[in-house]
Amino acid sequence: MGNVPGKLDQDNIYFNQSGRGAGTQSNNASPEKNRITRNRRAVSLVNSVLATSRTSTNLSDEANPNKRRSTREREALKEEHAKGLVVKYNETVDGGYLAPYGVYSVEKLDYDVQIVKKLIVDRKLAPFYTPLQDFDKSWTKEEVIKIINGLPLHSTFSDCIEEFDGVPTGNLKRANFDDLIDRSLSKKEQRREHSKIFKARLYKKRVLWQEGENELFLEKKIESRSPNSKPNQYLPSDDLKYEVYRNGNECPICFLYFPEPLNYSKCCLQPICTECFVQIKRSEPHFPHEEIDPMQPAESESEKDPNLLTSEPATCPYCATPDFSIMYCPPKTRRTGLGGIPPIAFKSDQLYIPGESSNSDGSDETNLRSRSKSVEGSAIISADSIRPDWENKLKKERMRLMKRSNNATAIHISNRLVQPEHRSRNGSTPGSSSPTTTGANETTTINELEEQMVEEAIKLSLEDNGTSGKKKKKRSQTLS
Amino acid sequence: MASLPKRIIKETERLISDPVPGITAEPHDDNLRYFNVTVEGPTQSPYENGIFKLELYLPDDYPMEAPKVRFLTKIYHPNIDRLGRICLDVLKTNWSPALQIRTVLLSIQALLASPNPNDPLANDVAEDWIKNEEAAKAKAREWTQLYAKKVDDN
Repeated sequence: MGNVPGKLDQDNIYFNQSGRGAGTQSNNASPEKNRITRNRRAVSLVNSVLATSRTSTNLSDEANPNKRRSTREREALKEEHAKGLVVKYNETVDGGYLAPYGVYSVEKLDYDVQIVKKLIVDRKLAPFYTPLQDFDKSWTKEEVIKIINGLPLHSTFSDCIEEFDGVPTGNLKRANFDDLIDRSLSKKEQRREHSKIFKARLYKKRVLWQEGENELFLEKKIESRSPNSKPNQYLPSDDLKYEVYRNGNECPICFLYFPEPLNYSKCCLQPICTECFVQIKRSEPHFPHEEIDPMQPAESESEKDPNLLTSEPATCPYCATPDFSIMYCPPKTRRTGLGGIPPIAFKSDQLYIPGESSNSDGSDETNLRSRSKSVEGSAIISADSIRPDWENKLKKERMRLMKRSNNATAIHISNRLVQPEHRSRNGSTPGSSSPTTTGANETTTINELEEQMVEEAIKLSLEDNGTSGKKKKKRSQTLS
Repeated sequence: MASLPKRIIKETERLISDPVPGITAEPHDDNLRYFNVTVEGPTQSPYENGIFKLELYLPDDYPMEAPKVRFLTKIYHPNIDRLGRICLDVLKTNWSPALQIRTVLLSIQALLASPNPNDPLANDVAEDWIKNEEAAKAKAREWTQLYAKKVDDN
C-alpha cells in the first residue's frame, strides 16, 4: 500500500483539472503516464473490492486535509472538549461564565469550546449567564441577591439516560477499559461496543467533573460567609449580583430570563442568549430539495451525485436572513472576572455612567436606538465561526456516500463472479479476448473474471474522477 | 426523563391564556410534550366547516428540532398523505427555533387554504389536483363533510 499516497496526489491533480475543464490537453499530452495512473487506480479498486477497509480509510484522507486521527486521538479530543464544557466558578466574565448552564443536552454542544471561550473573554460574545426562570421587576435588591445566592453553577444532570442503560463503565480512573469488551464478538461489534462504553464513561466523567465544581463553589460560598474568612476574589459582590440581574430580558428561544446585554441578531436586532446561539448551526449535509413533478418517477437518493450534497449556512431564527450573525456590545457598567477587576471588588457606584444603565424603564424605542447606535463598535460573530470544521464535515459526508456507491458496485461485480449464468455475458465483454466457449476449465474462468473486474474497476475509477455529466453516461454503460 | 424545559411550560401557559382563534391545543396529562390539537378548516376553502383533529409531539430537542405534527382526521389534500403526515417547509428544512406551537398550527391552517400540488406528499391527490382542480376540490369538500364534520356540542 506504499503507493497509495502518491496515487491520491495524482488523482487530486486529475480531479482538479478535469473539474475546471482544462484537463484534457495535459492528459492527451502524456497518454503513457495517464495509462499508468489508470492502472494504479484500477489496482487500488480491486484491492478495495477484496479487502475494503484499509483503502477506504485512505480515501477519506483526501477529503480531510488534516491527517486522519486514530480512535485514541479522537477520544482524547472528545474528552478535552467535554472538559471545556464544565462551568467553573472562578472563570467568570462580567458576572457570567465560560461554559453553558445546561439548558440543552450535553450531546448537542458541538461548538468549538476554545473559540467560544476566547470570544467571551474578549467581550465579543455575551458570557454564559445562569438563567432565571422568571424575573419580577418589583423585587427589591435584597430579594434579587437572595435568589442569585441560591443559583447553582449548572442545571442538574439526568442520571438515567436510556442510551447508556446497562452499558458497563468500569473504573473511571483507569484509562484503559478494554477488559469491559467481550472478546468473543466480531471486530466490528467490538468497535461498536468500545464506542458505546466510551460515550457512557465520558458522560459519567462529565457529571463528576461538574459536580466537583459545584461542590467547590458551594464550599467557597459557605467559607466566605464566616466572619473571619478572607474574601474570595472569584465570588461576586452583592452589588455585582444585583447589577448583573436587575436589567434583563427574556431570550425569545428558550424563554429564560438573562442579564442584559444579550447578543443581538445582526440582521433584525432580536436578542438571543449565548446558550441558544451556540445551538444554531448549518444544516446537515443533504441533497437540494426540488419540487417534484408527481407525474415523473422520483430519483432515488442512491442515484444522486454525492458532489451535489450541500449544507446551507444557518439562517437567522427570527427573520431567516442567511448566514446568521450576532453582535454583542459589552456592558459599560461592569468589567469583572477575566480581563477585569475581581468580582468581589465590584461596587455599583463605580464606573457608573448616568443615563446608561438606569434606563430600565426606558421605552423600547430608545432601547432600540441605543442598540443600533452600538452596532458600529460591536463585534460581529457568525454561526459558522464557532464551528470552523463544517467544511470538512461536508467533504467527509460526500466521501462516505461515494464509498457507499462504490461498495455497492463492488458487490454487484462480485455477485457476477459467483453466479455462473453470467458466464455467457462475459464472453461478450470486449476486454475478455480469451476464447471461452464450452468446456472452459476453472482457471480460465477465474482469469477471465479477474480481467473483467479490472476492466470494471478502471471504468469505475475513471467515473469517480469525471464530471457528473460524464459520470451518468459511464454508469449507464457499465450497468447495461 | 429530564424535567420539562421552561420554554414548553411557558408556551403551554400562553396557549391557554391567549388562545388562537380556530385552533385548540391541549397537552396530555401524562405526557406534557404531547398535545391534542384541533384546527378549523379555513373559510372559502374546501375544508370550510370542518374540524380537523391532529396530534403534536415536542421532541427532546425542541425547540432546536421542529415539533412532529400529524393529522388524525382523514383529509383530501395534496400535501397530506394517507397517514396524516404533512409536507410543510416549517416542519422540515425551514424550521426555526423562534417558531412556536402556535405559529406552526397557523401555518398548517394556511396550508389548508392554499394547497401546493407541485411539492406533494400524496402523489395521487396531487395528480388529481393538477389534472382537474375543481373535481379535486369537490372531493376535498366531500371528505370534509364525511370525516371532519363539526359536531354541535350544545
